[in-house]
Amino acid sequence: MDNKKTWFITGASKGFGLSLVKQLLQSGHNVAATSRNVTDLISAVGVTAPNFLPLEVELGNEDSVGCALHQTNAAFKSIDVVINNAGYGIGGSIEELTDRETRDNFEVNVFGTLNVIRMVMPYMRSQQSGHIINISSIAGISANTGWSVYAATKFSVVGLSEVLAQDVAEFGVKVTVVAPGAFRTSFLTGESLNMAKHPIADYSAVRDIHTKYLQMDGKQNGDPEKAAAAIIDVVQMENPPLYLLLGEDAYDRAMAKLEKLEREFRVNEAITKSMAYNA
Amino acid sequence: MNTQKTWFVTGASKGLGLSLVKQLLDKGYNVAATSRSITDLTKVVGEHENFLPLSVNIKAEDSVTNAIDQMISHFGKIDVVVNNAGYGLTGSLEELSDEEARENFDVNVFGSLNVIRAVMPHLRAQQSGHIFNVSSIGGFTGNFPGFGIYCATKFAVQGFTESLAAESKSFGVKATIVSPGYFRTNFLAPDSLSTPKNEIQAYKEVRAVQAAHQNDINGNQAGDPDKAALVMIAAAESVEVPMHLFLGADAYGIAAQKMEDVKADMEAWRELATSTGFEVEA
Repeated sequence: MDNKKTWFITGASKGFGLSLVKQLLQSGHNVAATSRNVTDLISAVGVTAPNFLPLEVELGNEDSVGCALHQTNAAFKSIDVVINNAGYGIGGSIEELTDRETRDNFEVNVFGTLNVIRMVMPYMRSQQSGHIINISSIAGISANTGWSVYAATKFSVVGLSEVLAQDVAEFGVKVTVVAPGAFRTSFLTGESLNMAKHPIADYSAVRDIHTKYLQMDGKQNGDPEKAAAAIIDVVQMENPPLYLLLGEDAYDRAMAKLEKLEREFRVNEAITKSMAYNA
Repeated sequence: MNTQKTWFVTGASKGLGLSLVKQLLDKGYNVAATSRSITDLTKVVGEHENFLPLSVNIKAEDSVTNAIDQMISHFGKIDVVVNNAGYGLTGSLEELSDEEARENFDVNVFGSLNVIRAVMPHLRAQQSGHIFNVSSIGGFTGNFPGFGIYCATKFAVQGFTESLAAESKSFGVKATIVSPGYFRTNFLAPDSLSTPKNEIQAYKEVRAVQAAHQNDINGNQAGDPDKAALVMIAAAESVEVPMHLFLGADAYGIAAQKMEDVKADMEAWRELATSTGFEVEA
């Protein structure tokens, strides 16, 4: 096929990552995919093929990431698309989540993504092409009760993606940040989702919201195969969007947030604009 | 008896933090303020009966908890918390090392979370309180080339503050995100703004933006930090507190533009975005 590309996908043993890997391999693309455990990855993907390179990577470790990218480039001679997909959710109020629990979530969701970007940019600058896709979440646009630290990590991903898009434009590298709503992946299962180890009884509203989310597991409206197909579509486009929301729930929640902000924003317009020395 | 509110302000030896502390003391509030160096802090603020200067390493949870304990034993309560400590960092994501990136998060994100974790037991017990988290207009829009890590830290502040406002509401605790535009503080001065140790000259746009901030914008910012401090004091005294407080005409314009850009992108891509649900069986 003519538009065959080399893809590097993190967190590929389940969820969106796994759906992406399977669809891409089927279309004949070269796929390097990472997981903490390469055996799990191989058995989840279920095929061995010359265009599939499974890699065991510790994303929080820059050397491990650099080594994986080096292997990818050696095997396929280019790295065209990077999907920073690895990440997990953590539930709890700020007070309940320890410094350790907080940093562990940033380790994967933010510093892992930064390690990949830092290490892949030399390849993309020398190619003068590439597309970096960072998977954030609707929680990275609109934060709710009970997901404080997770929201903070996903807001970070949105922020760094917006800046990255401008910083690498001069090298012909494109950036898209994806904000999915609720999809029927393993996200809400015990193996993916972490909860505060030291809950505080006072936070009953936080417990209630967690119960509500966990009851949604398996019933989410979003089809991960369609999400993967939408992401693949976007990569084939001449002018891909910076923001790609996925799911009607994500779309509606983002719009509601913007409208609420706009109202609040206008109420305080006079105060906001009175800050200058000569105002 | 002093019935005025008791404030806790981090990063108070300069900038917005210093303006805030001075004005609070002028108005007779009790103020506990932190800085890495207590000497620096006392030097710039002076001595006041209702002022408690504290030497704190914001990155270390024990140091933060210890400061809050000292404050409670000194003033007996804590009403308003201002997470102001933070610093700017320029550089592309490729240029900034893992260590440089983490250091910025340590102060701008994990430092504020250490404070919130330490004060919440007190605020929950008294069923009142107000936490101001100082983000930036760069935490609302990433339209600041060359400030990727800094924006990522300030976006994080916006995210956890929105959650904080929701999760602490039932305890009568309020939270506000402060998003200043350019203010005439030492934020962009060489002793405050960090730059990458290993610059890559190929990033021409990033280098140009960095130079513009260091040479042209530094010292010429439109915003008066004293005015920002007064607005924050007024917000803390108001009944209906804003969750999002943008400060500066520049911040207003940039934020309005961002909202329009996102809406335009969303609407243009609506069909693809909303086509991902499972087929509903008839």
